[in-house]
Amino acid sequence: MSVQIEVFLQTLIAGLLLGGLYALIGLGMTIIMGVMKIINLAHGELMMVAMYIAYWVFVLFHIDPYLSVFISMPLLFFLGVGLQKFLINPVLKVESILPENQVILTVGIGMVLSNLATIFFTSDYRSTPVDYATKAWYLTDYWKAAPFELSLSFSWTVSFLFAVIITVLLWFFLTKTDMGKSIRATAQDLDAALLMGVNVKKMRVITFGIGASLVGAAGSLFIPIYYLYPALGGQFTLIAFVITILGGLGSTVGAIIGGLILGVFEAMTATYLGMGWAPVGRFLIFVAALIFLPGGVASLLRRKRFGK
Amino acid sequence: MRRFSIIVVVAFLLSLFCSGTLLAQDTLKLSIPLPLTGTQAKFGEMEKRSYEIAAEEINAKGGIKGKKVVLDFEDSQGKPEISRSIAEKLIDVKKQPVIFGDYSSSCSKAIAAVADERKVPYLVVTGAADDITQQNYKYVFRMNPPNALYAIGLISFLKEVVKPKTIVILYESSDFGTSGAKDMAMHAEKMGMKVLVYEKYEKGAVDFKPILSKVKAAKPDVIYMVSYVMDAALLMRQIKELRIDSKLFAGGAAGFALPEFVVNAKDASEYVVTATLWSPQVKYKGAKEYADKYKKLFKDYPSYHGAEAYSALYIIKDVLERAKSLNPEDIRVAMKATKMETAFGP
Repeated sequence: MSVQIEVFLQTLIAGLLLGGLYALIGLGMTIIMGVMKIINLAHGELMMVAMYIAYWVFVLFHIDPYLSVFISMPLLFFLGVGLQKFLINPVLKVESILPENQVILTVGIGMVLSNLATIFFTSDYRSTPVDYATKAWYLTDYWKAAPFELSLSFSWTVSFLFAVIITVLLWFFLTKTDMGKSIRATAQDLDAALLMGVNVKKMRVITFGIGASLVGAAGSLFIPIYYLYPALGGQFTLIAFVITILGGLGSTVGAIIGGLILGVFEAMTATYLGMGWAPVGRFLIFVAALIFLPGGVASLLRRKRFGK
Repeated sequence: MRRFSIIVVVAFLLSLFCSGTLLAQDTLKLSIPLPLTGTQAKFGEMEKRSYEIAAEEINAKGGIKGKKVVLDFEDSQGKPEISRSIAEKLIDVKKQPVIFGDYSSSCSKAIAAVADERKVPYLVVTGAADDITQQNYKYVFRMNPPNALYAIGLISFLKEVVKPKTIVILYESSDFGTSGAKDMAMHAEKMGMKVLVYEKYEKGAVDFKPILSKVKAAKPDVIYMVSYVMDAALLMRQIKELRIDSKLFAGGAAGFALPEFVVNAKDASEYVVTATLWSPQVKYKGAKEYADKYKKLFKDYPSYHGAEAYSALYIIKDVLERAKSLNPEDIRVAMKATKMETAFGP
């Protein structure tokens, strides 16, 4: 029995830790989604760029990947701002048959980024061999009489905590600062915000920068626990996409909850159904969310608030 | 005027075509499908370099039947459907009389089907899944031993040294992983070992801990994994994190045999045994020269994939020289009679 509990708890821990990181990836996409009304399909590739930054900073200057968060975040912010200003904004102005041709543009940006990475850095797999890669805390080390053994990986936990801190900071920024309020206003109603004197164009640029820097932070946090190669982006774009849908398009709280749900669900399917089923589970959630909860977690939250 | 310009263009194209065929008189152009981008690009690159080394050597010695070998690489991105269309292009458009190459088992399988249908011989270079050559294809040949051999090699080691009673098998959900795991399970059961967990995973997964905590609960003597390199490193790291103490961790070639594995898995790579097909230390003729040359050029030792690619070109050379003409049927006959020793072995 205790073995069963141990497996369950260990799975839950793994799922939550993974979910926290997923949430950070999803947040970036959902913020861009909220303001721009487009899905940024180059999201995973932006993360890949951040991971390369973290990798080179580690190799060349021996800066710990966790500290490189403070380098990759501003760099990715400027990359995001540049992309929005010089590539996406001009496309926004053009009338076209396809209303969503900015989305197609982001696909193109993603392809260019991953192919540039292949050219410059070759397609080698890379990882940062940090000393604490296999360090972990064990329950039995602290509580001798524990009926079962649980372990908490050092690097996973630190990554998770960083993700939480960044999320909290983002929440403060969005609710307490002037600029954050303007961004939320733009997301809620573009025309009204424009009438109230919000510089919508500037907000768009800044939002894309923030979204990129969030996923940049996720990249820095992922590199100690994962590895890196130029084609890695697609996988994470997909995850971010599922989270954004699950959380309700454009809702930040929804994205956090959606990320956690996805992480735990994936871990549970891996343990109780088999790991080969994890991608199936991911799409099951995706389709189920679209059919039964088209507004995502956010619509549930809203309904509750109105009910009171 | 317009018609005239069309005629000019057509004439120009024709002349290009003619000069192309003229050139073909003293060069032999061979196109090779390889995953040069995508997740398997690492292996594709290694093979590409190895083919180039071999081509250079062959050209230095006078080429194939006096013709200079010119290699051309087609990017299959590690996707079977792209491999398939490349094979079709090579056969139908470029009229290449023999196909060889590509990396993964799934891609090789796709090419094999096309090649056999069009009656063009195909040499499987690194695809290891057993069933590629077990479908009664008449035009498909392989140079590397099928997957079953990895398992047999390890089993004999287990039998003599470790004598385990229980085993856990984890494999990636590809052709290569599935067939390797199936063989291992079969042999393990024959030996009287109990297979406790038999589980596949998706390549590129981030977190193996859920599946590993299940493995831990099962308490196996041996954990056998069929993985590519980075998955292998992650698996071993997380096994160590969870304090799973089995008697032995065993890897089935591919990932565990690459030099990067030790670098990436760091101290977690201790106590791991792996079955591999080739290493720079083997005694076959030419193996050391090849490894040294590769190391000198690219500052890195090749794994068995590179050696296979290097040898493949020599086999093609040998076959083409023995074939009566360059049409596919004659090449098939010659390929069937192939028996030679290369840097990769007999």
